[in-house]
Amino acid sequence: MTDEREITLTVNGTEHTIEVEPRRLLVHAIREDLDMTGTHIGCDTGNCGACTVLKDGEPIKSCLMFAAQADGAEILTVEGMEDLPEADDIHPLQEGFREEHGLQCGYCTPGMLMAGKALLDEHPDPDEETIRDAISGNLCRCTGYQNIVRSIEYAAEELENRAAADGGAVAADGATGGGSAASPQGDASPEGGHAAPEFGGDADTFCGREDCCGGPDGADPFDRDALLEANDADAAGDAGGTDDAADTDADDRGDTK
Amino acid sequence: MKSAPFEHHEPETVDEAVSLLESLDDPTILAGGQSLVPMLRFRLANPDVVVDINGVDSLDYLREEDGHLRLGALARHADVEDSALIDEKYGSFADAAPLVADPQIRNRGTVVGSVAQADPKGDWGSILLAHEGDVIATGPDGDRAIPADEFFLLPYDTTLGEQELITEIRVPAPEANEGSAYHKLKRKTGDYAMAGVGVRLVFDDGVIESAGIGMTAVDITNARATDAEEHLEGERPSPDLFAKAGELAAEQSNPESDEHGGADYKERMVDVLTQRALGDAAERAGTVTVERRVTQ
Ligand SMILES: Cc1cc2nc3c(=O)[nH]c(=O)nc-3n(C[C@H](O)[C@H](O)[C@H](O)COP(=O)(O)OP(=O)(O)OC[C@H]3O[C@@H](n4cnc5c(N)ncnc54)[C@H](O)[C@@H]3O)c2cc1C
Ligand code: FES
Ligand code: FES
Repeated sequence: MTDEREITLTVNGTEHTIEVEPRRLLVHAIREDLDMTGTHIGCDTGNCGACTVLKDGEPIKSCLMFAAQADGAEILTVEGMEDLPEADDIHPLQEGFREEHGLQCGYCTPGMLMAGKALLDEHPDPDEETIRDAISGNLCRCTGYQNIVRSIEYAAEELENRAAADGGAVAADGATGGGSAASPQGDASPEGGHAAPEFGGDADTFCGREDCCGGPDGADPFDRDALLEANDADAAGDAGGTDDAADTDADDRGDTK
Repeated sequence: MKSAPFEHHEPETVDEAVSLLESLDDPTILAGGQSLVPMLRFRLANPDVVVDINGVDSLDYLREEDGHLRLGALARHADVEDSALIDEKYGSFADAAPLVADPQIRNRGTVVGSVAQADPKGDWGSILLAHEGDVIATGPDGDRAIPADEFFLLPYDTTLGEQELITEIRVPAPEANEGSAYHKLKRKTGDYAMAGVGVRLVFDDGVIESAGIGMTAVDITNARATDAEEHLEGERPSPDLFAKAGELAAEQSNPESDEHGGADYKERMVDVLTQRALGDAAERAGTVTVERRVTQ
């Protein structure tokens, strides 16, 4: 039942073949099997966006997808940013986060960078509202969104300047703006800097954060224990549990049907 | 916590998927996974077998055909958001898509999966109700159409059979004098609704021939505001008419107080959202502009 399966992921341009159980999440495959810990885990519930990566160019939350589902996909993680053609020493987005103080504690930064990258791929010149919408699935617990928005604006401008300077082609090595300083990017690329709390490689642990955001609307949408158990019972041909739960509920509120 | 172990099956056709559902013990369908994966991880769902339909390419469509807007089981929220057809003709869908969750989740989550999930806070169920749409299910005995009104039973529970796969949801293509809209109140971008209202109005010579109103997050399932619908039908739109409809919808809603707001407040919001959605729908129908009592 827990048979491992061989899958191929092309991460940041390098092909990797790994064995995964069906239940292995993409984020764990990236962090633990491939040892790229730049992609963070914040909430485990799809709420915080720390685990955002690009799958075939689209931003997704890698904690909400099984690794097996990404078999054959191209994945871009924060580690790949500085190798992109539009990157100089570091990517203009990373540069923006440094220049505009978009990374405060840096925990949300990798996810923000990926969301920002997806945005700028589609809208090279976004207005503030578009930027805010693009990062609306990414929580910064420092609530420093103002600086993050500015960082992405910085990158949009920088990319436009480079494109103009190159007559359309992307700079491969032309240093512009503040891009030539020795990279302090350890902060944003958490291999070195403000890295994720380590999990000791044990995928069975919770994220362990005291301030875990706990899911949409607090715990509510996931407080469905009783109903789901009841539904399972239903599926097995025993409708008792569901009806009980529902009757109570409906009676309390007055039947509207 | 990771999910309990399960077998992962990846059918490539609807027939294959249905025969897996029929032959395997306790299978669960995996579409976008945006609701199911957290449930698996919290062990709220413990299936032995997961039937992943993402490889069933024939289910990946959003089109107008045979007088209906038809969304296949792999149409993602983002597909609705990006569709020119939706933009042009389906106001309620166009309103709702960017309000569902956040961009990452919209890239993966499917409209059908959201309907199947039957979360009373799900946005699409209300729209399906307002448009008097159908859920198309395929099982061992073939296809059947389940009217939206008969689909939602309880939170997270529907009338879908155990061995059935939803292949499609569909709503009637708009008539000449039709308009629809969706309004949602949430704490912040990306949140589930505190309250939401979907409206569809069909006019005949300036008179409301048919009205559909579906409500989000204010009852144990997505719910229809029948009293308000009846009050609207046969009438000419006016601020008074819409205000009364809002009141009736609010009366018929059954919100619960929670940390985001009291039941009274949410009822009042149903009133407001209903009036706004009615105003937009009437305007989009092209026949009337109703002066708003309640504005943006
Ligand atoms: C942080 C967050 C915020 C969210 N905000 C919103 C929001 O604002 N509004 C909203 O409406 N939703 C919201 N959602 C839910 C989201 O829209 C999901 O995408 C949706 O509910 C489920 O779709 P899915 O394709 O991901 O389904 P899955 O998670 O794959 O499946 C959900 C359920 O439906 C069943 N199912 C799926 N497809 C089929 C099918 N074809 N036939 C039969 N059964 C099927 C599955 O077995 C499972 O039980 C949010 C989710 C998260 C994590
Ligand atoms: S860890 Fe994936 S969204 Fe929070
Ligand atoms: S910079 Fe710390 S969470 Fe955003």
